[in-house]
Amino acid sequence: MHSTIVRGQNVFGFFTTVCFVVAALIAASDLLAPRTPKATVAANTVQVVRGRPHYYSTKKEEYAIIRFTMNADFSSLFTWNTKQVFVYVSASWPNSTSEELVNEAVIWDTIITNPSADHLQNIGPAAMKKLVKSAKGKSIDPKRGKIDLKNQKPKYQITAPTGKLQDTDGVVLRVHYNVQPWVGVLTWTPQIEFGSWKKLKGGVSKAFKLPSIKKKDPPKKA
Amino acid sequence: MADQLLEQVRDIAEGQIDFEGQRLAELLATVLLATVGAVSFIVGFIKQDIKLALYIGLGGTALTMGLIVPPWPFLKRHPVKWLPVGGAEKSSQGIIVDGKVVG
Repeated sequence: MHSTIVRGQNVFGFFTTVCFVVAALIAASDLLAPRTPKATVAANTVQVVRGRPHYYSTKKEEYAIIRFTMNADFSSLFTWNTKQVFVYVSASWPNSTSEELVNEAVIWDTIITNPSADHLQNIGPAAMKKLVKSAKGKSIDPKRGKIDLKNQKPKYQITAPTGKLQDTDGVVLRVHYNVQPWVGVLTWTPQIEFGSWKKLKGGVSKAFKLPSIKKKDPPKKA
Repeated sequence: MADQLLEQVRDIAEGQIDFEGQRLAELLATVLLATVGAVSFIVGFIKQDIKLALYIGLGGTALTMGLIVPPWPFLKRHPVKWLPVGGAEKSSQGIIVDGKVVG
């Protein structure tokens, strides 16, 4: 500690140690907060159309457009350490070639930010102001965890590697989430119960069948 | 004249403090930073606001740095008494071997 530089180095070195310990404590404090997520999801209208992966492709594939209804309550996932929660809905159906494999593709997703991370959202200034105001100065806003979608248009049209989708049976919609903390480990929809962190209640839809591609009626002669 | 000024600036830039001051600086650094860390976590946990915890932590660290890194006078209160340059002091006993003064 004999010179300014040495004192600066020592103080900074201990500061980084303190930072690490405090971050570890904050991440550990997350385990104390119970998590009780619930969700219900159901497919509404389903369409299968023929299309191309991109404009110049010669391959033609079949795409499924699955409109769905979802009600979810993820408010218990928001603690002081939550930065954002990523929620996604996927459609999965059994693979025709194997008993263990399952085909799964995401049809819709969204990012729900905690008020402390609002400035990171990819939205324009007017929408940003509205978002910040909706939290009304609170540091956590559990209301944002409640999702209510009716006949929601999917973000993504899905296909299978074989390119054939029509008349597939046993398709099931699943809700998943990913909690991204400020400090700590990333956690996804749990497969086991961990202390006060419960598994997602519901979150799976009833099985349904993808329809055939609608045949165009021959044009009526004038 | 400029030489003397430069010497003063060099002294302040080097920031030497005496040994008691160094001990005090080390103790203060440890205690203050540990307290800042504890306070920032506890306040953040009670208010459930991580931005607040971050600001308290960074602010407290800046304060600690401001208190310890510059060579303040309170860290130089026990300067080392160096012996005079050149020969031994007049009042010194000299080197004693087997009860007889030698050097």
